[in-house]
Amino acid sequence: MGIQIKDVRKRFGALTVVNGVSVDIAEGEFFVLLGESGCGKTTTLRMVAGLELPTSGSIHINGKDVTYAEPRHRDIAMAFQDYGLYPNMTVYENIAFPLKIRKVSKADQRRKVEETAGKLGIFNYLGRKPFQLSGGQRQRVSLARALVRNPKVFLMDEPLSNLDAKLRAVMRTEIKKLVSELGITTIYVTHDQIEAMSMADRIAVMRHGDMVQVGSPLEIYDRPLTHFVADFMGSPPMNLFPASMTTAGRPTGEVREFVDAIPDHERDLISSRLDASGQFTLGIRPEHLKLVQLGSPGSARAVVDFVEPLGQTTNVYLTAGEKRLIAVTDRCVSHVGDVVGVYAPPEFLRVVAN
Amino acid sequence: MSMQHDAIRRGSKAALAYALALLATAFFAFPIFWMFTSSLKGDEIITAYPPVWIFAPSLQNYVKLVEDLGIMTMFINSSIIVGLSTCLAMISGTLAAYALARFDIKNKQMIAFEVLSIRMLPPIVSVVPMFILARWLGVFDTYWLLIAAYALAGLPFVVWVMRVFIQDIPQSIEEAALIDGCSRVEAFWRVTLPLLMPGLAATMVIVFMFAWNEFLLASMLTSKAAKTLPVIAANTLNAKSIAWGMASAAGVVMSLPVVVLVLLMQRYLVRGLTLGAVKG
Repeated sequence: MGIQIKDVRKRFGALTVVNGVSVDIAEGEFFVLLGESGCGKTTTLRMVAGLELPTSGSIHINGKDVTYAEPRHRDIAMAFQDYGLYPNMTVYENIAFPLKIRKVSKADQRRKVEETAGKLGIFNYLGRKPFQLSGGQRQRVSLARALVRNPKVFLMDEPLSNLDAKLRAVMRTEIKKLVSELGITTIYVTHDQIEAMSMADRIAVMRHGDMVQVGSPLEIYDRPLTHFVADFMGSPPMNLFPASMTTAGRPTGEVREFVDAIPDHERDLISSRLDASGQFTLGIRPEHLKLVQLGSPGSARAVVDFVEPLGQTTNVYLTAGEKRLIAVTDRCVSHVGDVVGVYAPPEFLRVVAN
Repeated sequence: MSMQHDAIRRGSKAALAYALALLATAFFAFPIFWMFTSSLKGDEIITAYPPVWIFAPSLQNYVKLVEDLGIMTMFINSSIIVGLSTCLAMISGTLAAYALARFDIKNKQMIAFEVLSIRMLPPIVSVVPMFILARWLGVFDTYWLLIAAYALAGLPFVVWVMRVFIQDIPQSIEEAALIDGCSRVEAFWRVTLPLLMPGLAATMVIVFMFAWNEFLLASMLTSKAAKTLPVIAANTLNAKSIAWGMASAAGVVMSLPVVVLVLLMQRYLVRGLTLGAVKG
């Protein structure tokens, strides 16, 4: 059950947009496709929806092969980035449309539309046309239209990207709450890593048509597999240092103290993450870097370039040798020009592929 | 003091604007007024100079049109030919435009250009070959010939204009319909078509007017049975004299259906003609 995507590829002429994606999404799971624009995440979603046909591979929804089925035969619902509301119909008619197409009786239509509209807080707008609504209300209508017929699968294509930041945060929790209450299998496409982190049961990070890493939000945050994932997830992003290992068991890198501190279990990963020229990347999250007294054991010498007090925390920008670093600390008393020690606790150092 | 001054200035500005608008309206409306009054005048006062402004209107020109020239038959001919050809051009043109706008067709641009190329040929060039072909096919002086000719002439225009109108409708609306349970045809019928009404109305009026007023093909490709209004209107002018009264009456008769059509479509037309400018 759920959704199985098997080795799906999509080419537009000479251009490969999705390059052999495979993933098994469990029933009721909230699955997020995350990536920059043009990475193939939307095309993947559209192939699940049936709006685009894969060049090869197969898609199963709830055990049925729907690779080449029409969208209407897939029992899916979808929310679009620009809402996709029917501008000539009222909100009521918009929400009732899928029921009307399925020839649900008038009385049942009314009951279901009113129930769904109530749940989404748009009951008072049922008589309006879409152009009389704000962006947030329009998105609620599109969600209501999607949910009114209790679909098995819900697909969302950047539904919040046209909303302002505050509304986005509100809708985020609302959507998550709604679909997890209803237990609908959901695929959610976004380029916003905060949305992905906060909503997903599992995230697939996509790049150049490939799924680079699939895992729970914390797994992806804590143990990024590649330089791209490490850099993409988290704000401010992970500190990344180019490193190499030309002689087995002897890694070298820009900030010696950090390379020397790599713990054994990470050290074992190096050989599997080396690229062809023996390079890899060493990473540590900004919140794990510690500012200590200059010369403390295991610390590197760094100069404070810039201090960004954010209230709760402080972003400290440093230069260690040639390398620029960011540390997120508690409220601190660093000043620009201070010379300090930077300490990377070994348990937070990560070996990442380039 | 200055407020009063401002009020006067604003008032005179408005007066100037009204005067200009009136002038423009008079410029366009006067020939129609002239045609309409001439059609009600007798032959003796029609060419009088200075013009006769006050006269007893008579319908004799219209009676002559019906009795001598048999304009009723031509009116029916024109209505059938132009009505059918407009419908044909609209239906096939809109469907073609939909395919060109929405589907992934190879060499789409070239096909669209091909369609347009029909209109690049001056009609006068094609009229003789059409005449010969029509004789050969045995459709000379029938409805079918002019219906086909007008439908073909209107088609490129419909395809090109409707393509733009269709492209202006966000694709996600149709995709939403597909997901909501429609087939392609249903999505087009229930969702796209209602949104296309302004475009369809504007395009239809233009295609209709072109065919309704077309003279060259009508005069060369018909002789009696399928004669249309423009041809008969031209018959009021002959080598010896010009029947001004009848010509004016024919003009009025010919203008009426267009006026009625525009009035019927008015609700959509204003939006259709300005859709590109004020999208929303």
